[in-house]
Amino acid sequence: MNGPLHLDLLRQLLPEAVLVVSALAVLLLDLRVFGRRALSERMANSGTCAAVGLLASWGVLGMGAVPVETLAGAFRPLPGTQFLKGVLLLLSLATVVFAMPGRFTRHAGEFFALLLIATAGMMLLIGTDNLLMLFVALELVSLTLYVLTALHEERPGATEAALKYFLFGGIAAALTLFGMSLLYGLTGSVQLSVIGSRLAALPREPLLWIALVMTLSGLAFKIAVAPFHLWAPDVYQGAPTPAAALVASGSKVAGFVLLLRVLHVGFGANTAGSAGRIPWSPGWIPWIAVLSTLSMVAGNLTALRQTDLRRLLAYSAIAQGGYGLLGLMDPRPESGAAVLYFAVTYAITALGAFGVVAAMEAAGEEPTLPGLAGLGRRSPVLAACLSVFVLSMAGIPPLAGFFGKFFVFVRAISSEPQSGRLWILSVAVGTSAVALYYYLQIVRHALLLPAATPAPALRVAPLTLFALLLLAGATLVLGFLPGLLLNPLQ
Amino acid sequence: MSAATLHLLLAAAMFCIGLAGALCRRNAILVLIGIELMLNAANLNFLTFWKYGPQPQPLDGPVFVLFSVAIAAAEAAVGLALIIAIHRRYRTTQLEEISRLRG
Repeated sequence: MNGPLHLDLLRQLLPEAVLVVSALAVLLLDLRVFGRRALSERMANSGTCAAVGLLASWGVLGMGAVPVETLAGAFRPLPGTQFLKGVLLLLSLATVVFAMPGRFTRHAGEFFALLLIATAGMMLLIGTDNLLMLFVALELVSLTLYVLTALHEERPGATEAALKYFLFGGIAAALTLFGMSLLYGLTGSVQLSVIGSRLAALPREPLLWIALVMTLSGLAFKIAVAPFHLWAPDVYQGAPTPAAALVASGSKVAGFVLLLRVLHVGFGANTAGSAGRIPWSPGWIPWIAVLSTLSMVAGNLTALRQTDLRRLLAYSAIAQGGYGLLGLMDPRPESGAAVLYFAVTYAITALGAFGVVAAMEAAGEEPTLPGLAGLGRRSPVLAACLSVFVLSMAGIPPLAGFFGKFFVFVRAISSEPQSGRLWILSVAVGTSAVALYYYLQIVRHALLLPAATPAPALRVAPLTLFALLLLAGATLVLGFLPGLLLNPLQ
Repeated sequence: MSAATLHLLLAAAMFCIGLAGALCRRNAILVLIGIELMLNAANLNFLTFWKYGPQPQPLDGPVFVLFSVAIAAAEAAVGLALIIAIHRRYRTTQLEEISRLRG
């Protein structure tokens, strides 16, 4: 360990360091300066500080862009990693904006500080190639999200949701760690790229399957795909809505990047060398196919009978996780951009939908399906934004969600061998048609149905409206110009 | 049977006991104990693979264990805090009685 190494490390991790420092600053300011003021003022002040921290981190993002092999390759960016870090920062920024008008907790400083730390964890998570760093970052994200989930003081279910999230998450983390320990034992390395090349030379023994399945199970929990999805509906419903928005957007994007890296680098698809053989992918493709099918079916069918908007979004998120996995089934490097395009566009729409829910809650409305009735008259902008987000999730062209689905479907069908892929594609298309029903239900309630009782116009914070309009605009623009997102990811 | 095999068998047994406990126990604290057991089984694996693996090799295994012990401690702290919050609200730590969210 010498001086220059530490400087390299600092330069590499400057955006994350800025986030952690601003988290501490938010905590201190809320404790010493804002502490005695009214709650709404404290939320606004702490939120502003957090937003400044996120913007500062975004500002320094480009500065450390020299791809140095710091700490024996612990931080090895893949193409697009810097860009995705920027996306994560912007998603968190929108989350902060949605949280500022809320009055769900007395712990304003803690809420925003934890949000910043979770963002730093996600950025570390997508930037690392080392199993140890990966596990530490995974737990950093998970532990902060458990606490964020519990921070709603009025909603009785918040602590319960957090406990369920914690218990499922703990089991998943233990499975991942055990799988990693077996991988370490089999290959003698904790570098994903080294593991990938060494696995290719190993005989396919049962221990390898066990390691594979265990590691994947833990990661599948992170993106909430069936059968590791049981926590998601409770967390989306019980958590403070901005926290749920973070779970649905940033954490999901980070989870997909992580899965992509572990599968495509760690389990050896990229080492398909001179022989053109893909050494390890046959091992995990069926497993991914099973997870994907289960979540598409379970998520979409259960979503049909939900009336709580947050819970409905949770089941829709489970189904969308299944669609995302379709793209991972193609082990060639090109599929990465398709999966990430899908994950990012989905995250934007999910964040937007939760932003609408948060705006309704801040105005004192209960976000249920019948409660949406008359929204078109009471707040045309909210209703229009919600419709854009929901139609994008349903995959209506020309919105971004259509192309996301289209790209992952193409990846799923163009992977080899083709004969086995048709059934899963028909499941995907069939469940998409089912999903259309509940997505259109939301649009029908929001835009067409009149309110049961005459209600006044909703008062929405201007900053929230601005963020929602930006997200809706991004959904439209990325639909017309998918290259804006696809090119940096390739 | 070599020492390495014995260690790995012990770790596997610990992991299975922990998993069974985490899945079957009805008390949140006992589930937490199960999770800790699973994490420690993984730690034992890391140390065994490092000790009996090809020598000399970098200290990956022990370093991993140090970090994961610290993480397990942080996880236990968060978990116990959540369980205390639950106990204040529900007056119980039995999981089947903590089920207001459904659907």
